[in-house]
Amino acid sequence: MNFKTSFLREAWFLSKDRAAMIWLSLALLISAFSVVTGIAEVRAQRQTIERLLEADRADREASLADQSDWGGAAYYAFHLTYDPPSELAFAALGQRDVASWKHRVRMLALEGQIHEADPQHPDVALIGRVDFAFVAAFLAPLFVILMLYDLRAAERTAGRYELLSATARRDAAPWRMRAGVRIACLAACLLIPFLIGAVLEQASGMAIAGAGLAVLLHLAFWGLLTSFVGRLAMPSATILTAMAGAWLLLAVLVPASGRVLVERAIPVPAGADIMMVQRESVNDGWDRPREATMKAFLERHPEWSAYSQIEQGFEWKWYYAFQQVGDQTAEDLSRDYDEGRHQRDRAASLISWLAPPALMERTLQSLAGTDVAATLAYEQSVRNFHAELRAFYYPRLFREEDYSLDAVRGLPAFEGKHGANESAAADL
Amino acid sequence: MRHILTIAADEWRFWIRSRLALAGLLVMAVLLVVTSFVTAARVSHERDVRLEHQQAAEERFLAQPDRHPHRMVHYGHYVHRIPGPLAILDSGVDRVTGQSIFLEGHRQNSAMFAEARGGASLGRLADLTPALVYQLFAPLLLIVLGHSLIVRERESATLAPLLAQGLSPGVLIAGKAAALGSVILLMLLPICGLSAFAAAQGEALLSGLVVTGTYALYLGLWGAVALLVSALVNQRGMALGILFAVWLLAAIIMPRAAVNIAGMVEPVPGKIETDLALAIDMRDVGDGHDAGASAYDTLRANLLSEHNAERIEDLPVNFRGMVALYSEERLTRLLNEYAEAQMAREQAQAQVIGSFGWASPLIAASSASRILSGTDLGTHHRFLREAETIRYEFVQGLNRAHAHDLSYTDDINRNRDVEAFDRARISAGNWQVLDRFRFHPAPAGERLLQATPFLVMLALWFAGLVAALAYAAGRLRP
Repeated sequence: MNFKTSFLREAWFLSKDRAAMIWLSLALLISAFSVVTGIAEVRAQRQTIERLLEADRADREASLADQSDWGGAAYYAFHLTYDPPSELAFAALGQRDVASWKHRVRMLALEGQIHEADPQHPDVALIGRVDFAFVAAFLAPLFVILMLYDLRAAERTAGRYELLSATARRDAAPWRMRAGVRIACLAACLLIPFLIGAVLEQASGMAIAGAGLAVLLHLAFWGLLTSFVGRLAMPSATILTAMAGAWLLLAVLVPASGRVLVERAIPVPAGADIMMVQRESVNDGWDRPREATMKAFLERHPEWSAYSQIEQGFEWKWYYAFQQVGDQTAEDLSRDYDEGRHQRDRAASLISWLAPPALMERTLQSLAGTDVAATLAYEQSVRNFHAELRAFYYPRLFREEDYSLDAVRGLPAFEGKHGANESAAADL
Repeated sequence: MRHILTIAADEWRFWIRSRLALAGLLVMAVLLVVTSFVTAARVSHERDVRLEHQQAAEERFLAQPDRHPHRMVHYGHYVHRIPGPLAILDSGVDRVTGQSIFLEGHRQNSAMFAEARGGASLGRLADLTPALVYQLFAPLLLIVLGHSLIVRERESATLAPLLAQGLSPGVLIAGKAAALGSVILLMLLPICGLSAFAAAQGEALLSGLVVTGTYALYLGLWGAVALLVSALVNQRGMALGILFAVWLLAAIIMPRAAVNIAGMVEPVPGKIETDLALAIDMRDVGDGHDAGASAYDTLRANLLSEHNAERIEDLPVNFRGMVALYSEERLTRLLNEYAEAQMAREQAQAQVIGSFGWASPLIAASSASRILSGTDLGTHHRFLREAETIRYEFVQGLNRAHAHDLSYTDDINRNRDVEAFDRARISAGNWQVLDRFRFHPAPAGERLLQATPFLVMLALWFAGLVAALAYAAGRLRP
């Protein structure tokens, strides 16, 4: 018996198995649903960014036209920062549903702005949507279980089990082929909509191959586990119950306990503390002796020491200096917050090796640039952009240059995460 | 009655002998107890921390020294959403919505620092609460225990003799239902404990009772499904397969598909987008920092004629303070219009999701559970509205002090030099305009009213299933 004939025979059997065909069509349907709604969502997000860019430009130009000095311009001109969805984001929306991927910032202290949330609908973040990552990570194992738990038992009930086992060259051969064919068909049903979606979204070949491989490995893991439990020759109801228990353990219990452990072991500062420290410092700025503010400011910007005399009750350069000092005061807490999130993510990544569904989801999110690392990279790009804004305004504020609409055209524009990475690379 | 009890007791004997059923019972018991303790500890800790932050914020505001009132408008204040006592059962949207808002003049800031943003990302089922265990996993146990109730008798050919002995099918099914019902009652013990704990912390007993009832109804519904399938099917494997598929569709797929669909049917624009639209309207209202703006010409003319004055310097009130009062009022009206429209859109989207409760009882049960626990979207909106009220009150209180307690001359000359800057201030006694803020979810009765549509959904689901079960009992064949 060669491979081809036995494959075709099993495929024929499968096509006659009504329950299995229902599972396969359901898998195909849900995968297609996740891809279609995922693409609709990322396209809506891209359109939102387009619209926002336009509205943001109009708003900034209107604000700048009203100004007569650089300080006012810096105060009233907001800038949109955003993280556009990647080509693969349709398959794994990930952190985009939880963390903000767009901000509007201005020259004031950044710590008061970067934590502003522009959240999705809370129910969306709470219940979670069906994206391809959810299908591949949490539903696919259930489909594998439903397709395989009954393999041997069905033959036993039909009275063919002993015959099949006796006539097979090797004991496990018919089951292996049968399970293999079923997994292959399931993989096709899950992956075909994903592949079509990925091609439509023009994802890179490497990313598609990586995602496809990850899904196949994940399916293979659950296939092997189900076959192993199935070989213990128990009634099919017991196999199904045991596998449901395995799913519960690996998809829910291990990740949930991992999460509790990680969050206990690696504390992050309370957001309220960051904001409080920053605000206190910025507000103290008004009362603190002018020299103290300028001294703290000049530690970072010694180049302006020649221009740092404050003579009037209010001067813009002093105002922005204490905004920056506010950020400096909250710097440590804020760094701890980012570093803590980094560490939690690294710990979660280790733990996910114990929980294949979590690993699957994290893999897709990392390929799609929707993981925690991507969120942190985006936030860093906002920080970089804010630093560029300061670098643009400080010379004009300290040298007290004349404001003009022509000169304001040189304002830096947000270039996104990738621009930020390149400029970071250029710094090295 | 005696027959029913005998049948139920027999079923229990079977479960205890079956290692699988016993393992399932044990796992569920451990899961529920551990999750209850962990969640109760986490939420109580959150409550304490936020309460502390709330008190600290108030103390700091009141402890500010004498200064220019508008400085306090921008010094601002923080409010924190303190979770209600029943959040230990269902923490709902608490983790995914910002929990603190910075309140200041002329702006409605968004709620910041959702816990989820700093959480470890381990898949979306990793955020276990007792509510989620009841909604998602307790039905699995009922399926494992319940799928074999009737079909087992059929498979081992004991169903025919039972019925032949004159046992009515109704009594048989009632006995089996009693066995499964006793499991449900056992499973409800942790929720009773949590409700009692919440009641000790000030939650109304009513909420705890109704939320327990909600889950009793929801689990009863799953028990009825299991019993129904078991009565209709010929093989245990098949019964389990069908029930497992129903669970997959109703508990795992449907709620999330509802989210996808609601997002497409009722899209909600983000805050930045509405802020930008708002910015255009705000230009018409005018900037309250610029008392010379043309938007205040009428106000100036009115004040001058009212006080029979020639120049604003001659007014008995500080014109800049009057502008601040006037523009804050107009601006707030506009801000609230936008905020209400945004909340209405969010509610519309939530309603689309809720309407899927007719298709998946999990959606009905979880919606009711969040409302009753005071952790639903509506409670978050209540927080936003209360925060806005307190914001408007203290900002206008400060603006009134600005108008009446600070002289116009000192005010406009404040930037001349450092001494003039120091002269333009009012006494710290004025900071008492800030009200104490302790967030509480809506009263129990109100929450119950809001949860009623979902409870009706569950009750109808349950009634329908019981009717189907009665019908199946009438035609029970060996």
